[in-house]
Amino acid sequence: MVSPVKIWRRQKKIRQILEKKGKIVSWTKIFITGSDFKKNAPYYLVLVELEDKKKIIAQLVEYEDNKDLFGKKVKVILRRIREISEEDIIPYGIKVKLIE
Amino acid sequence: MISVIGFYQTKFGELWEKSLFDLVKETISSILKENQLSIEEIDAIFFGNMLSGVLENNLHSAAKIAEIIKKNIPIFRIESACASGGVAFYLAKQYLEANSNKTVLVIGAEKMTDFSPEEITQALAGAASGDEQEVGLTFPGAYALMSNFYLKEYGYSEENLAYVAVKNHFHGSLNKKAHFQKKITLNDVLKSTYVAYPIKVLDSSPISDGAAGLILTNDRDLIKKAKNQVKVLASEMATDSISLMERERIDEIKTTKIAAKKAFSSAKVDQKDIQVAEIHDCFTIAEILAMEDLGFWRKGEGGKRVKDQETMLGNGGKLIINSSGGLKAAGHPVGATGVKQIGEIYLQLTNQADNRQVKNAHYGLTHNVGGSGGTAVVTILAS
Repeated sequence: MVSPVKIWRRQKKIRQILEKKGKIVSWTKIFITGSDFKKNAPYYLVLVELEDKKKIIAQLVEYEDNKDLFGKKVKVILRRIREISEEDIIPYGIKVKLIE
Repeated sequence: MISVIGFYQTKFGELWEKSLFDLVKETISSILKENQLSIEEIDAIFFGNMLSGVLENNLHSAAKIAEIIKKNIPIFRIESACASGGVAFYLAKQYLEANSNKTVLVIGAEKMTDFSPEEITQALAGAASGDEQEVGLTFPGAYALMSNFYLKEYGYSEENLAYVAVKNHFHGSLNKKAHFQKKITLNDVLKSTYVAYPIKVLDSSPISDGAAGLILTNDRDLIKKAKNQVKVLASEMATDSISLMERERIDEIKTTKIAAKKAFSSAKVDQKDIQVAEIHDCFTIAEILAMEDLGFWRKGEGGKRVKDQETMLGNGGKLIINSSGGLKAAGHPVGATGVKQIGEIYLQLTNQADNRQVKNAHYGLTHNVGGSGGTAVVTILAS
């Protein structure tokens, strides 16, 4: 479980990058992962350089596997992240999706 | 002059019958016995270990080691992720530089095979940045982002990475203490399953149990009496942002470049002088990047040079890399790795490396990295 105060602290940062656009610098597809993400696996992770030159790493969602991701443009979106138990606060974080 | 006068390593592998402190005990008692020293002659112990606090709720290891040796000397536990062993050695050297006529033990140990892959993956990810953990970036995942970028940038394929694994498994087949002592083919590597694309199981170092120890001293009488000794010319360390997002480049490890530059400068030798080196090959890409960042190869040519297999024993090359089998085949009990690397060079420089002996080796180098490049230690030794 991630403590509610940690989620609250992180979510303040999330607002600053939501909706920002950038392009994929590198990518991987994760097959073996920790218990918090096991149900999501396999999933794509991309290193993105945003338009303001800041870099982020995020899961790529709504993507059909074609393995040609270098240089593709993406947008930062808000999504539910990691596995939690029934009583936990739902943690939201950033993911990215491709834009045309 | 500070010298290494003894080395002991347990077998690396799945050692289910032994606990972390069983491994530490075996290492301390064996290294003292083999070098005819008593614990009374040891002034301090530097202990490299990463995961016991996270995995086993096992902390305050200094006092637990004191219980084993039944002495009240200073003991320090050092945690710097996969560089814990290398940093323990670096600090031991600093301690000796500040204190004359002292002898210390540098011990590295890790117990990893009692746990599931998910538990180990989660624990190792503890060394990643909080933001990266939050998006599900694993330790192999960080190296996978570096691998994929490198392959694209310099026009290589997964095959180029695989040559590192083939070489290091060949070397591992010559090392009785190695976790894996079986040769593998290029095809074996390429057909193994993905961990994090393009990194496959056989591109990755294993999860191992094991311990290693060194005796380090500046006591002239002890150095004179020692049957086998090597001089420590330099041990330098650098740190950097752990997050890949904060790095200027992901096709190099800045800490390796800084530590190497300082080490070559203080040792007053250059890359051409080194005949044998143990390089941190937690994943195949790591050895390629390290060879470039240490200045042995130019940036971007690593993929080609590794395919030529010039750093493999028996191919007539002037520099042999990872004669122990590296992390890849000898195994990677995290805290023990940096200590074992220096031990392997000690064996090579004192002609004790049996059937994997590099001929006429006078200068050796070790390179130990923590958490995808957040820490690097480069050590140079001479016979």
